[in-house]
Amino acid sequence: MNSQTRVLVQGITGKEGSFHTSMMLKYGTKIVAGVTPGKGGTQVNGVPVYDTVKEAVKEHEIDASIIFVPARFASEAVYEAVDAGIKLVTVITEHIPVVDVAKFVRYARARGTRIIGPNCPGLIVPGESLLGILPAKYFRKGTVGIVSRSGTLTYEVSHLVGDLGQSTVIGIGGDPIIGTQLQEVVQEFDKDNNTEAIVIIGEIGGTMEERVAQLKKEGKIKKPIVGYIAGLTAPREKRMGHAGAVVYMGMGTFESKIEAFKKADIPVAKTPYEIRDILTKIVRK
Amino acid sequence: MKLYEYEGKRLFSLVNIPVPRGQVVKSPVHVQGKVVVKSQLLEGGRGKRGLVRVTEDSYGTIQELMKEGINTFLIEEFVPHTREIYLSAMMDRETGNPMIVASPFGGINIEESKDVKTFVIPIDRKLMRYDVDAIEKYVGYRGLGGVIEGLLRLILEYDAELAEINPLAITENGPLALDSKVILDDNALYRHEELLKELQREKVPADSYVELEGDVGIVGNGAGLTMATMDLVKLMGGNPADFLDVGGGADTEKVASAVIRVGSNPKVKKIVINIFGGITRCDEVAKGIVEAYRKINKPIYVRLTGTNEDEGKKILQSQGIRVYEDALTAIGDALRS
Repeated sequence: MNSQTRVLVQGITGKEGSFHTSMMLKYGTKIVAGVTPGKGGTQVNGVPVYDTVKEAVKEHEIDASIIFVPARFASEAVYEAVDAGIKLVTVITEHIPVVDVAKFVRYARARGTRIIGPNCPGLIVPGESLLGILPAKYFRKGTVGIVSRSGTLTYEVSHLVGDLGQSTVIGIGGDPIIGTQLQEVVQEFDKDNNTEAIVIIGEIGGTMEERVAQLKKEGKIKKPIVGYIAGLTAPREKRMGHAGAVVYMGMGTFESKIEAFKKADIPVAKTPYEIRDILTKIVRK
Repeated sequence: MKLYEYEGKRLFSLVNIPVPRGQVVKSPVHVQGKVVVKSQLLEGGRGKRGLVRVTEDSYGTIQELMKEGINTFLIEEFVPHTREIYLSAMMDRETGNPMIVASPFGGINIEESKDVKTFVIPIDRKLMRYDVDAIEKYVGYRGLGGVIEGLLRLILEYDAELAEINPLAITENGPLALDSKVILDDNALYRHEELLKELQREKVPADSYVELEGDVGIVGNGAGLTMATMDLVKLMGGNPADFLDVGGGADTEKVASAVIRVGSNPKVKKIVINIFGGITRCDEVAKGIVEAYRKINKPIYVRLTGTNEDEGKKILQSQGIRVYEDALTAIGDALRS
C-alpha cells in the first residue's frame, strides 16, 4: 500500500464511516468512492457515493476497500467487495459471528482477495497512506514494522517507539478467525526494504505467535523481532475484551507464547515500555 | 453466552445427541430410585466440590445442597455404563474450519491430557463417513456418527463457539451425553431469538467485565491496552480485582457506567484507569470519570493521553482526581497509596 492506492469506503455515510473518511482524506489517502445502499448519487466530503460496489468499480479504478458497515450487514459487504474484484479489503467492523467470518475469509482467499480484520484498526504507512482508524499523530516514518492484535496498544507502542519511527503498522484484529494472520504479516515485513526490525504485539488465545516463533527458529525470517504478549494475568476460559483473547483447551496461553519466543531467540518485552529499549539495541547494532 | 448444563442438553436433544432422562427443579422433590442430582452452576469443577451427587434420596440431597446457596438442580436417571469418552467441537482458528476434539478417555482434565486429538472438518463440505471413521478409530468405539454430526450442527447452525461432552458414556444402548458444556457466540445471538426465548435467557449486554482476585480495579480502552495495564499492576506488585475494556470511541455515559461497575465491586479499594485516546476523546472520558467518582468515592488514578487530552486533564484536576502522563507512574502511585 502507498500514496497511490485508490480506496473505496463501504458504509461511508454512517457515523464512523463519514468521520474516518474525513480523517483518512486529511492524511492524504486517495479515497475515490464510497458505497451505502440507498444513498447513491450523494457525496461525503466530496467523495461520490454509490448504491453498490459494482457501480463504484464501473466508474473508478479501485485497489482497496475499507468496511465500516454494521455487524449484521458486514459479511455481505465483504462478499460484495470480493465479487467486484477488489484485492485488499480491510474490515473495521467488530462483533461479526465467527462462523460468518470463517466463511468469507475462505471465499476471499479462494478468489485472491486479501482481508485484514475483522475487528481491527486497519493499517498505516506513515507519511503515505492511512487505511483505518489509527490516530495519525502517533505515527512517524521510520524503520520498525509493527503488527498487532490490538488497537490502542498499537498506538501506545508506536508512540513509545518514538524517533525510530515505523515503516508500516498493521492491526490484524482481535477476533478468533481473521483474514490475515500474524505470520503472514511478519513474512511481508521480512521482505520489505523499508523495514529493519519487527515488533509483534500479541495476546493470549490462538497460536499465531507460536507459529511466528517456529518460522524464526527455522531461519525463515531473517530480520530481528521483538515480542510482547498481553494477558499475563488473564484467567483461563475468560474472554479478555477481544473475542479472540480466550484460552480454550489450554491452547495459546501466555506461557506457551513466551516459551515459544524464547526458544526462537526472540527477545520478549515484559511491558510495552521495554520494547523501545530492546529495539534500540537491535537497530543500532 | 455460557449455558447451564440443562440448557446445553436441551440443545443436544435438538441435534439428536442422546441425553439421560431428567427434570429441572428449583425445590426439593421425591424421585423413585437411584438418581443423579446435579447443581446447575456456570462454573466448572462441580464434581470436585461435591455438588453432583448420586443418591436414592433426591429430596434430602436437594435440601442439603440448597443450604449451599444453589437454587437450580437437574435430576437425572442413573445410567450404568462401561466406559467414557471425551468429544467436543469448536472452530479451529488456524484453518477457519470446525474441528472435533476427541479423547478415548472421558471425565479428564482436557487441558492436561496427552490423549487428545483434533480432527478438522472442512467447512465447505458436510461430514463424511471417513471423518467419522478416523475419530472412531482413535477413540476405539464404533457408533459416534450421530453425536459428531450433532456437535458440528451446534457449531455451524446454532453458532456455538464450544460444544463439549465430557463425559460421553458408552451404554448398552449406545452413546449418551452425561454432561454438557455449551458456549454460544454472543455476536450471533441475534439470529437465535427463538432459542433464547425457549431457554428464558436474555441477550446479555455486550461488555467485557471480568472478575479477578485482587483489590485494584482496572479500566482501559481497548482490550490489549487494558490487558497490558492489568499485567503491569501485577508486575509492579499489585493485584487486579477486575478488568473492563470500555471499547473504542467510548463516550461520557459509557465511561461513567464502566467506572461505576468496577468501583461497585466491594473488593476494589482503588481504581487504575488507562486511556489512550485515538477515536476516544479524553474530555468525554474525563467527564465520565468525574460523574462516576461522585458516586463511588474510591481513589482513582488516571492515565490520560491522546485526543483532547488537555481539556480532559483540566476537567479531572478541577475535581481533585489525580491524572498522569504515563501508566507506570499512575500505577506506581496507586500501589503505594
